[in-house]
Amino acid sequence: MTENDDLDDAAWDSGDEGEAEDGETEGGDVSHAAAGTEEVADGERPRKRRKSQDDYVSADPRANVALKFVTDVIREMEMECTVHLRRPQEGNADDEINIEIAGRDAGRIIGKKGQVLQALQFLTHRIINRPGLDRRHILVDAEGYRSRRDNSLATMAQRLGRQAVEEGKIITFEPMNPRDRRVVHLALAKFEGVITRSDGEGDDRRVQIIPVRRTAGAGAAAPN
Amino acid sequence: MALKELIATIAQALVDDPDSVEVTEIEGDHNSLIELKVAKNDIGKVIGKDGRTAQSMRTILTAASTKIGRRAHLDIVD
Repeated sequence: MTENDDLDDAAWDSGDEGEAEDGETEGGDVSHAAAGTEEVADGERPRKRRKSQDDYVSADPRANVALKFVTDVIREMEMECTVHLRRPQEGNADDEINIEIAGRDAGRIIGKKGQVLQALQFLTHRIINRPGLDRRHILVDAEGYRSRRDNSLATMAQRLGRQAVEEGKIITFEPMNPRDRRVVHLALAKFEGVITRSDGEGDDRRVQIIPVRRTAGAGAAAPN
Repeated sequence: MALKELIATIAQALVDDPDSVEVTEIEGDHNSLIELKVAKNDIGKVIGKDGRTAQSMRTILTAASTKIGRRAHLDIVD
């Protein structure tokens, strides 16, 4: 973790300081982002120590590393956005790091079909989940894009779960990324009469909804 | 131009040896070629399984360069 702490200062001082005109003091950003307070990426002056009711201060140092990384990237992208931590969603509090981006350039941060957001989340995941550490689930959202999408995916999963039970048939999804698969697994985790599992490798990995008789034990579904 | 710094920020967070990260940017009128060099042991970390890490960096680079009306290309050099 220490290697992330001094990224801002000096590490690439040899480069030109072309972006200095927005008046931010780079050193100031570090502590304030790391403290989990609101961050203004570009344009307007950063508001120090100001908290909105959405702000959530995590006791998890890795959450703050994640926040700092996303904040730094958004600033270097010169996007007008704020970044803050959100309280983890109910039920998966301990291992979840939830980052929300908002502001004028949120659309650019989401990208086509959420591609930029997905890239940002993937990189954050790579940085936080180093070998030998227990795993954190990283969620990076912008203006609620993902949570809306997750909700519709979860609703669809439950509809297909009912269909699997009624027809007694295995239902297989299109290939999805790990996060979307997780949404489906979680949506059906407590759903009576089905288990879910993922099948296939890499980009071809798909979730299957498998109807089961009532005798099946709990916890049969393996997330991922 | 911040595109170089953007790639440096990401690469330094990914690797084990951030001091060895070198990023150069060759600027044309509307294009930038960004070359990323990292320690030998860290090349896998900036490329990733099936090139997914490199692909994610390119996606973010494209979003940033589009905003300022440029095109940017990222090369990882060894």
